[in-house]
Amino acid sequence: MLPIDAAAHSSRWRRRHPVDKAVLGLGLTVLAIALPPWPGAALVLLTALVVLLGPAGVPARRLWRAYRVPLGFCVTGAATLLVQVGGPEGVLSLADDGPRRAGELLLRTSAASLGVLLFAFTTPMSDLLPRLIKAGVPGPVVDVALVTYRMSSLLLDSVRRIREAQAARLGHTTRAAAWRSLAGLGATAFVRAFDRASRLQAGLAGRGYDGTLRVLVPEARISVRFTLGSVVLLGCVAAVTFLLKGPLSS
Amino acid sequence: MHIAEGFLPPAHAVAWGVASAPFVVHGVRSLTREVRKHPESTLLLGASGAFTFVLSALKLPSVTGSCSHPTGTGLGAILFRPPVMAVLGTITLLFQALLLAHGGLTTLGANVFSMAVVGPWVGYGAYRLLRRCDVPLMVAVFFGAFAADLSTYCVTSVQLALAFPDPAGGVLGALGKFGSVFAVTQIPLAVSEGLLTVLVMRLLVQSSKGELTRLGVLVAGGRTEARATGTGAVA
Repeated sequence: MLPIDAAAHSSRWRRRHPVDKAVLGLGLTVLAIALPPWPGAALVLLTALVVLLGPAGVPARRLWRAYRVPLGFCVTGAATLLVQVGGPEGVLSLADDGPRRAGELLLRTSAASLGVLLFAFTTPMSDLLPRLIKAGVPGPVVDVALVTYRMSSLLLDSVRRIREAQAARLGHTTRAAAWRSLAGLGATAFVRAFDRASRLQAGLAGRGYDGTLRVLVPEARISVRFTLGSVVLLGCVAAVTFLLKGPLSS
Repeated sequence: MHIAEGFLPPAHAVAWGVASAPFVVHGVRSLTREVRKHPESTLLLGASGAFTFVLSALKLPSVTGSCSHPTGTGLGAILFRPPVMAVLGTITLLFQALLLAHGGLTTLGANVFSMAVVGPWVGYGAYRLLRRCDVPLMVAVFFGAFAADLSTYCVTSVQLALAFPDPAGGVLGALGKFGSVFAVTQIPLAVSEGLLTVLVMRLLVQSSKGELTRLGVLVAGGRTEARATGTGAVA
């Protein structure tokens, strides 16, 4: 199982309905991109961090391991805004407004990423996917997504073990060997995925499979109190942003 | 490279979502029809999705010395065809956003457009064109994967350039800036992905003739053939 999903399964908010967590986490993400980056995104970032490490109980180290990936992309992307192409100062020169634009982009992306991480770290995929039918996603698509999700974990585990076996047989010592091993890995993943699917199919056919994958979904109710609290929190962040925007920008 | 969460301004995020929607809806309809007709296809399509997800997690040695991962869109489009890849790609991108913090939900539309729509269609188009010209299968596979990878990154450059026009050079200046940043890494990576896809396909032709025949890449008897168009990835 992937680390974020494993953390979601043992989350303090695991039993909460996904809608509760979507309103809070994805609401913060929407605020991060909709509000002015300063001070809006900064406030969203702070709020998301406090909720993640406080009430949601996500361990700081796990959060950092997951967060550094999007953060790296944010920094790389923002760096391109520091320079400009053409103009009187040459083909490539420092952009006058570059640091401000890069800083704002960095704030916005890092805050938005934390909002999604809040949702991902508290909501296992197995709780979310079956409920997508109620959101209007066609049943067959949800079924395919469910099989993809369950098979991905098994395949990733197989791939990891095959890679270890290849390394033990000196399969990564030269560039040519590494390419051969990589191709073998991709082909084996394909063969295993289809082999597993046909075995699953045979097993389900023996159990009277009628085309619908029925899975047990942990019971949970949408908490009006939690959702209302989340909406109030989001409203406060937006209100404080507009209150502070004037004094901080003057 | 996926566009990170929150990277695009709200109007751009919505616009790319709207642009992707018809392709995804078309793919969903094809997939739903296929599953209703052949319920057992659910498992094979799920396996295809898992394969695409795992493929995008493989580390690819780059010519520049660094490491990256294949997009998998070329191989996916050749094996499963572009309409199905639009759905499988969307599912994969959703999983990557939520399980790997790679990409994002607000940028899902933009990422779907580049990786699950343009990449597969361009790659599949190149593959089909070459097969019609009687080019050997492996050469067609190489150029299919190469074109899919490179077109994905070209579209990503355009998306970023439109969102962040250069103060002096405008959208074209920004396109040059983002394009040159990607070109350094992505042209060698597209070549690498093309080579890897050829190696994978060679192994598949040797070991999985049954599956490739079922997917329509080979005709009965294990011969390779440029196939007729249509949907039904696992028919």
